[in-house]
Amino acid sequence: MSAPSSHDLLATSAATWRDRTEDPPAVPPELRPPPAGVGARERNRALWRRHALRRQRAEDVYAASRNPARGWPVSGNRAVLAFFGDLVRSRKRSFAVLVALNALAAGSALVVPRLLGELVNRVESQGSGVEGLDALALTVVGVVLLQALFTFGAQRTSTHFGQDLLASAREYIVGTILRLPVGRVEGASTGDLVTRVTRDVGTMARSVQWGVPRLLISLLTVLLSVVAMLLNSLVLAVPALLVFALCTPAVRTYLQRAPKAYITEGATYSRINTTLTETVEGARTVEALGLSAARVRAGSDDIEVSAQAERYGMTLRNVLFTALNGAFQVPQVVTLLVGAYAYSRGWVDLGQITAAMLYVVALSEPLDAVIGEVDRLQVGAASTSRLLGIAEVPPDREPGDRLPDGVELVGEDLRFAYREGHDVLHGVDLHLRTGERLAVVGPSGSGKSTLGRLLAGINRPRTGSARVGGVDLVDLPLEVLRTEVALVTQEHHVFIGTVRDNVVLAREDSSDDAVREALRAVGALAWVERLPEGLDTTIGSGRNALTPAQAQQVALARLIIADPHTLVLDEATSLIDPRTARTLEGSMNSLLEGRTVVAIAHRLHTAHDADRIAVVMDGLVVELGSHDELLELDGEYAALWRAWTS
Amino acid sequence: MQDFPPRTATFFSGTDAAPDPDPDTRTPAAFLRWVLGRQKALIALSSLCYALWFLPMTLGPWIFGRAVDDGIVGGSTPALLGWAALLLGVVAIGAVFGIVSHTLVVRTWLIGLYGALEMVTRKVVQMGHVLPRRSPTGEVLSVASSDSDEFGALTEILARTVGQLVSYLTVAAIVLTMSWQLGLLTLVAAPVLVGAALPLLRPLHRRQQLERSRTSDLTSLATDIVAGLRILRGIGGEQTFGANYDRQSQSAKEAGVAAGIWQAVVEAVGVLLSGIFLVTLVWLGARQVEAGALTVGQLITFLGYGLFMVGPIRTFFEFAQKGVRSMVSARKAIAIFEQRPPWRDPAEPVALDGTAELHDAASGLTVRPGILTVVVSAVPEQSSALADRLGRYLPADTEPVPLDGDVDVRGRAARRARAEKARERARIAALDEERAGRDWGVTLGGIDLARADLADVRRQVLVSDTGSQLFAGTLQDAVDPHGRLSREQAEHALRVANAEDVYDALPEGWQGQLDERGRGLSGGQRQRVVLARAIAADPPVLVLVEPTSAVDAHTEARIAERVTQTRRGRTTVVTTVSPLWLHHADHVVLLHDGTVVAEGRHADLLETDDYRRVVARALDEEEVSR
Repeated sequence: MSAPSSHDLLATSAATWRDRTEDPPAVPPELRPPPAGVGARERNRALWRRHALRRQRAEDVYAASRNPARGWPVSGNRAVLAFFGDLVRSRKRSFAVLVALNALAAGSALVVPRLLGELVNRVESQGSGVEGLDALALTVVGVVLLQALFTFGAQRTSTHFGQDLLASAREYIVGTILRLPVGRVEGASTGDLVTRVTRDVGTMARSVQWGVPRLLISLLTVLLSVVAMLLNSLVLAVPALLVFALCTPAVRTYLQRAPKAYITEGATYSRINTTLTETVEGARTVEALGLSAARVRAGSDDIEVSAQAERYGMTLRNVLFTALNGAFQVPQVVTLLVGAYAYSRGWVDLGQITAAMLYVVALSEPLDAVIGEVDRLQVGAASTSRLLGIAEVPPDREPGDRLPDGVELVGEDLRFAYREGHDVLHGVDLHLRTGERLAVVGPSGSGKSTLGRLLAGINRPRTGSARVGGVDLVDLPLEVLRTEVALVTQEHHVFIGTVRDNVVLAREDSSDDAVREALRAVGALAWVERLPEGLDTTIGSGRNALTPAQAQQVALARLIIADPHTLVLDEATSLIDPRTARTLEGSMNSLLEGRTVVAIAHRLHTAHDADRIAVVMDGLVVELGSHDELLELDGEYAALWRAWTS
Repeated sequence: MQDFPPRTATFFSGTDAAPDPDPDTRTPAAFLRWVLGRQKALIALSSLCYALWFLPMTLGPWIFGRAVDDGIVGGSTPALLGWAALLLGVVAIGAVFGIVSHTLVVRTWLIGLYGALEMVTRKVVQMGHVLPRRSPTGEVLSVASSDSDEFGALTEILARTVGQLVSYLTVAAIVLTMSWQLGLLTLVAAPVLVGAALPLLRPLHRRQQLERSRTSDLTSLATDIVAGLRILRGIGGEQTFGANYDRQSQSAKEAGVAAGIWQAVVEAVGVLLSGIFLVTLVWLGARQVEAGALTVGQLITFLGYGLFMVGPIRTFFEFAQKGVRSMVSARKAIAIFEQRPPWRDPAEPVALDGTAELHDAASGLTVRPGILTVVVSAVPEQSSALADRLGRYLPADTEPVPLDGDVDVRGRAARRARAEKARERARIAALDEERAGRDWGVTLGGIDLARADLADVRRQVLVSDTGSQLFAGTLQDAVDPHGRLSREQAEHALRVANAEDVYDALPEGWQGQLDERGRGLSGGQRQRVVLARAIAADPPVLVLVEPTSAVDAHTEARIAERVTQTRRGRTTVVTTVSPLWLHHADHVVLLHDGTVVAEGRHADLLETDDYRRVVARALDEEEVSR
């Protein structure tokens, strides 16, 4: 057998083989604290050195997440802003109501300290027999009631607004996924997409649903508090506010760095989970190969890396807290001192001092919240940029307006490369005869699957053309293409949905009769009608579980509905699980009846049953003819057949 | 003092040293006590630091009140400065301990979290293939991914609660000395406010639960769409499933809005109650000032404490909620951690000889050493059951028992279902113990496998079944997971498995990254890398279950030939029905209903009808058609 020489394939082996005894540890020694006995000053210096190193690691992880080497693209921050800008703009009214109600809630909350201060004033100035004490107290109760009502209203609108925004955002994302180019979908691994629709949508949801409204509320509260403080007393407010302002640089640095730290932490946890999932799912493999210690080590290494990311975040927060603790608490002292001086000068009364103190104490909470929410929003924005990146995949085809004239499928001079300069097909010509069964055989890596994808219009050949009825397959609108030729792989995914949803895919307007007919053709109607709600029964993961055979029948019924004149079956024998093969043979036959079939065959009996056999080696069709002709030819196929039957 | 990540060696030490003592898994509460007990000192210290961090809030209003009385109203500048200096001192102490307690609490949290993660990994490798027989994978993973975090959170909330309790009692002492009526009001108000909000929490929780379940349904829909994206883009159906998603998204939104509205009610009631408490406090205080029982400064102190009380109340609340959550998590963790491997290594293990004859009593199979034996069976399950026995694996005859069944079932029915599940788990565990304890029925060189150490069995007999998995890492790691091979050996293994194309597809060659579970490779490529790994492991006895079911005939022919060559002189068992393997076999065994019914050479067996029916499908058809 003249397989491509193995020596060629492993040509670079010596260069890429690595002596793993010298592998660096998961965490470099520079990130370990100095041993005991080192002086406090040196310890401190070492801490900041480690902190700088950890920052570098976080920056690297962040940069890599923004510019993934593999998988789907990631969009920029501007796209994220524009996306949410549009979503908010389309909800101007509810946004306005949201702001107004929150302002009212925050405003009424700020009236209370003023009234309490007023109460203190009266008590102080009038001593015994205070007038209007009860009335004042009742006023406060009234304001508190209003505040409660406004709070309810504001929260309610926030929920509506946040949930609505979130629903639109996630529906848009899933919409873009459903428009991804066929060629990319067929080739790429879906793991990255799964992560995006689960983890990234979750992160985005948290920041859209809670982050956006809370940021608004907190910002409004801070703004109005500042206004209230200034209205209460300029002399008392300005010094306290200046002290607050002192923490701005620390906050700014924190906000620049924290999102990267959190994204890095998140990445380490998903790595921990990935490794553990592999260990759990491959528990038997681990046991069989004696990999237990290695898997435990891999898990511990992941945790070590994660701990470093956590330490970075922890130090960032400690630095921030140092600034915030001062900035939030010192104004109390300042208010006290300035208040005393101003009181002795007669500039302020005791009520103003009381109110100022209450304001200062109360301001720390919304300020804290603003910092927290900005933090969270940045992490959410990073996830959103990964989600919006999906929309940036360029379409791989522009449907023309020509429709095929006839059903003849012809491939001419087909060449194709997944990596530039590495053609997998080197000029294949193949004329399918209408109604024939053509088996494609050949060793793995010879290009037979690629040939199938070109013949099914999934990918555009680098040179040459694959046409049906004179029109390039890749120039057909998808819905037309699907009714001309279908690529059938071993996947027989059952979607979460009704039986009908699961069958009508190619023609979503199919009638129930058509669906029943298709199910009958593949021998599935009987069990479908026994389901609790017949065609309307929900099936798919976690619902009414189908047996593998039933799942395969559903997959076949989809194709009956699509009714293409040509089928390309990849790993056709795998579509039918050997365990269910006997029961499904009839179903399969009724699908293939009357259609042109290209079967990329693993098993020789498939080839033997075909009208013609194409032997693909090294990206070329080297033999083409009927079973008997090829045996006569005494080439590749004949040699294989003899091996099979001897 | 402990630091994170913690050094853990529970369940499995990875060395010859004995593992750490097992956790207390008798009850959820006992388990939580065990978790917390492991870092007693650290939690106590962080509680203390929390209390000191809260000092400005605990003492601040009192100092401020005294400053107003003595300094401002009393007009004494030295007194004012003295009180201001004290306030500054207290603030400074708070600031320092804020950072210390944050550092400590991150530490306890992460020790709890990472510790639980380590324990899950170690339990999984300790149990090996036995764990998936008993517990659903999802439950094991959720202990790691979400319950572990609850244990971390518990350490934090415990320390914070103790710290707040200290503050609360300090404040109580202060206010009681100023005015017993107001002091009492302040003290009683906290539990009363909590109690008043409690009835609202139940409907809120129900709605939040609904929202969570709809959101998780939504996530499964999205995952489902992505998983079937090739079909959706290849065959169609984008509109149907896009619309399904949108519908579920809207229903999740409605549930979210309903939960949000209840949240709004809870918040508003909170605002109302704490506002009214504040007013009552001040009004009563003003009356007392009027009566001369209280100074203005003290009234201001009460105002400050009125605001402060919200903090401890919230914390106690959170403690109660997280406590309940950790109990739930503890129950889930126990279900995994309490399991014990069924194996008891014999007191006097006998060393096995991998070059001797292997015999299985149940099927009557005898594998002669040093040759290639192919096992043929019309029913693939029967040959894989045989392979399991040869390798001393418990048969795949149990369904993992989930901890919780239907979430909609409550009360007595739920308890009954739970007890039923517990019984089923116990039954499987007892069954495993019984099977693992008695003679195994497979002998190697006349010695029953049960008389040898399990580790020795694994060294002598490698079973590579259809579930064999690849792990994320480089191609080099995949073929040589132990790092024991020379480059030539690895290259040889890759060639034997005809997996050179996998190498070629990776621009970085041996250092090319494989995704987790080898995702991104085709089924055939995965199978061939798994085979290369098994060949490279070079065990004395190699059992391959359907090693080429996903590869084409050309490749299968090549693999069969090369495996035969490279294993010459060592014992190899392959289960398959492919003639491409069979005519390389030194010895062929036909299995019917799990027992050996015929054996001999392929060519000879072809004479028998039974064998022909199983093996030579193509030949049969040829026969019929001619």
